[in-house]
Amino acid sequence: MRIIYIPILLLFAAFLILPLGILFIRSFETAEGINLSNYLTVLSDEELLKAFGNSLKISGLTAAVTTTIAFCLAYSIHCTRIYGPIKSIIKTGILIPMLLPTITFGFAIIYSFGNQGVITRIFGRNLFDIYGFTGLLIGYVIYTLPSAFLLIHNSFKYSDKKFIIVSKLMGDGTMRSFMNTIIRPLAGTLGGAFILSFILSFTDFGIPASVGGTYSVVATQLYQVMLGSIPDFHTGAVIAILMLIPAVFSVFLLNYLDKRNFHYEKFSDIEMTRHKGRDICFGAVSLLVLIGMVSIFAVMFIAPFLTSFPYDLTFTFTHFIDTFQASDLTAVYQNSLFVALMTAVLGTFIAFSSAVLNVRTPLRGKSSIDAISMLTNTVPGMVLGLSYLLLFNGSSLKGTFAIIIVCNMVHFFTTPYLMAKNALAKMNPSWETTAELLGDSWIRTIQRVILPNSASTVIEMFSYYFINSMVTISGIIFLVTAQTTLVASKIKELQHFAKFNEIFILSLLIFFTNLVVKLLCDHYQKRSFKH
Amino acid sequence: MLKLQNISKRFDDKFVLEHINLEIGTGEIVSLLGPSGSGKTTLLNIILGLTSVEQGKIIFNDLDLSNVRMKDRGFNIVFQDYALFPHLNAYENIVYGLRNKKGLVSEEELHDYIDFLELQPHLTKKMGELSGGQKQRVALARTLVMKPKILLLDEPLSALDGVIKESIKQRIKSIAREYKLTTIIVTHDPEEALTMSDKILIINQGNISQFGSPQQIIDHPANDFVKEFILKQLEIKRENIYHLFGEKYA
Repeated sequence: MRIIYIPILLLFAAFLILPLGILFIRSFETAEGINLSNYLTVLSDEELLKAFGNSLKISGLTAAVTTTIAFCLAYSIHCTRIYGPIKSIIKTGILIPMLLPTITFGFAIIYSFGNQGVITRIFGRNLFDIYGFTGLLIGYVIYTLPSAFLLIHNSFKYSDKKFIIVSKLMGDGTMRSFMNTIIRPLAGTLGGAFILSFILSFTDFGIPASVGGTYSVVATQLYQVMLGSIPDFHTGAVIAILMLIPAVFSVFLLNYLDKRNFHYEKFSDIEMTRHKGRDICFGAVSLLVLIGMVSIFAVMFIAPFLTSFPYDLTFTFTHFIDTFQASDLTAVYQNSLFVALMTAVLGTFIAFSSAVLNVRTPLRGKSSIDAISMLTNTVPGMVLGLSYLLLFNGSSLKGTFAIIIVCNMVHFFTTPYLMAKNALAKMNPSWETTAELLGDSWIRTIQRVILPNSASTVIEMFSYYFINSMVTISGIIFLVTAQTTLVASKIKELQHFAKFNEIFILSLLIFFTNLVVKLLCDHYQKRSFKH
Repeated sequence: MLKLQNISKRFDDKFVLEHINLEIGTGEIVSLLGPSGSGKTTLLNIILGLTSVEQGKIIFNDLDLSNVRMKDRGFNIVFQDYALFPHLNAYENIVYGLRNKKGLVSEEELHDYIDFLELQPHLTKKMGELSGGQKQRVALARTLVMKPKILLLDEPLSALDGVIKESIKQRIKSIAREYKLTTIIVTHDPEEALTMSDKILIINQGNISQFGSPQQIIDHPANDFVKEFILKQLEIKRENIYHLFGEKYA
């Protein structure tokens, strides 16, 4: 067991604790030694302060909008009698944005609402100025909706709907019944969805990079400071630390809210009461949200097939053929594929091993892995990437695929780790003893009993790691070089040359790759469940 | 012959077992009976080797096993929830351990065990398709094919209902007779203990209250605990049954 435990600890020491430590020290380092002057400089910089203010404001608004919409969607699915297949469409459709890099959202918005955008043309005028506040808001909401929805959706699944009937029988009015049986039990989750949406928007880089315009936010400021004409490592470190603070705060708040959540001992499904008005209202809202979202992404599927959108609308394959013939773009796609695959394989291995050690062995000090998973959950991708840049800049790791893969593994560690932990904790605690009595060694037991019974979880972990590695930009933007560039960062580069067709084609590649991986994983997951 | 000499065990300064002395003859069925928290499961785990013993000795056929690892003691257990592997079918569960100990049982012996436990019709079934009693028998088969020197059963009847309970009781008795297998059973139910075993060890708060045959316990309860908590339960049950059938069946 120690043979696995110690390397895992060393990995996180070298690629999480140490880089963050260096980042912390750098933020205090000046020509005159260690002091607070970097912080004073940043905090007296009006431009930066404004960016912070902007970030807080827009993330807060996003969180409120997202939580409301996500709740409506989850409510439609669980508490109405909308036609079944529509429910499935909502449930699946809302997850589409997860398969795309956030930077693509921005371009899709530009192509929909911009001066020559599809939706602008349909309405015949500019609905609003998309560069800046409005564009960011739309982008962030689309980006955070799937995560918030999943959170609330799960909570709904595990809440006991029999109470709705009890409340009705006790003579509650609509409002009181709604508050007591829906809102109160979900309060913790709704708070959680709000915080999650807030922090995702606060730390995202892709959306402001594409549609932010002159509306500056923390993420773009950090990028400019680090990769602008004169990189300033110290200021960068300070901004990163300041970006970390709300994240730390959120994680504590999330944990607190989780403890306050209702935990039903049993939950039962009941038939929903008939209520035409309710069903029509929520059905309409949900479909509208979904159609709105799909219509924004639609342009991505259309534009690259037209000769010169929006001027020449004849159908053509030339852009596709050109893109695939441009060897650098196919190489970039191969890079992405390689990184995502390696991250998924190694990441799943590390996360699963960590969970096994924590849940199913008596190893001393094993709970340190929980602390690590809290930390990886807290650190935004940009902050992690920046800390790697600071620590490994002079080393041979700089500019390698290895550093990108490790960064992704650490960045996305929490969710797969928790998936594995949950699954393993549910398994019979006597399996190891039983297998040992039947002559297995510990490692043989893992191989013969624990792994086969975790197949479904392992596949889910793999799929999570793969898809997130494919779409992430904030984590890797500081780590890629000309040789190791990935699709998401290539899109950022193509933006400078206004090559939107290539941008959309690359996005489609990511989208379909992720879709295939997701469908395959879902298929195998279902199959292993049947056993 | 299994001898426990002066076994004591503490968890965080609290004694869960104190000075346990016991002798169990080969082929005997012995029940460890006591309320929850009495220390009976700890004692079972100590015999199995899962829990280490800090004081006292475990001697089996004149060999001191106190510091022998669980795996090397040659005892085996069927857990309360059976701990069957759900990704394998009944047959694969039964032969699980045989892959590690090739040649331990012949093909013929294996099928004797399977026939004895009447598992032939269920061999290809998954765990989810088996009833409680069938699972119990699969778990017993999986353990028996390893030819344990002592068979330990942790609350073997608690997950079963009514009629199945009685038939598994008979089954356990006949296993012990057929294979001359020393069997140690943990239970909190006096009726189970007294109708299934040759001897009963009554444990209360980490100490032996009484050790003896069912008849000895019924006729000469050693102390108030045995009277109040063990015999009282049986008497209430007897009253209820009499009441149902009428005195003439007494």
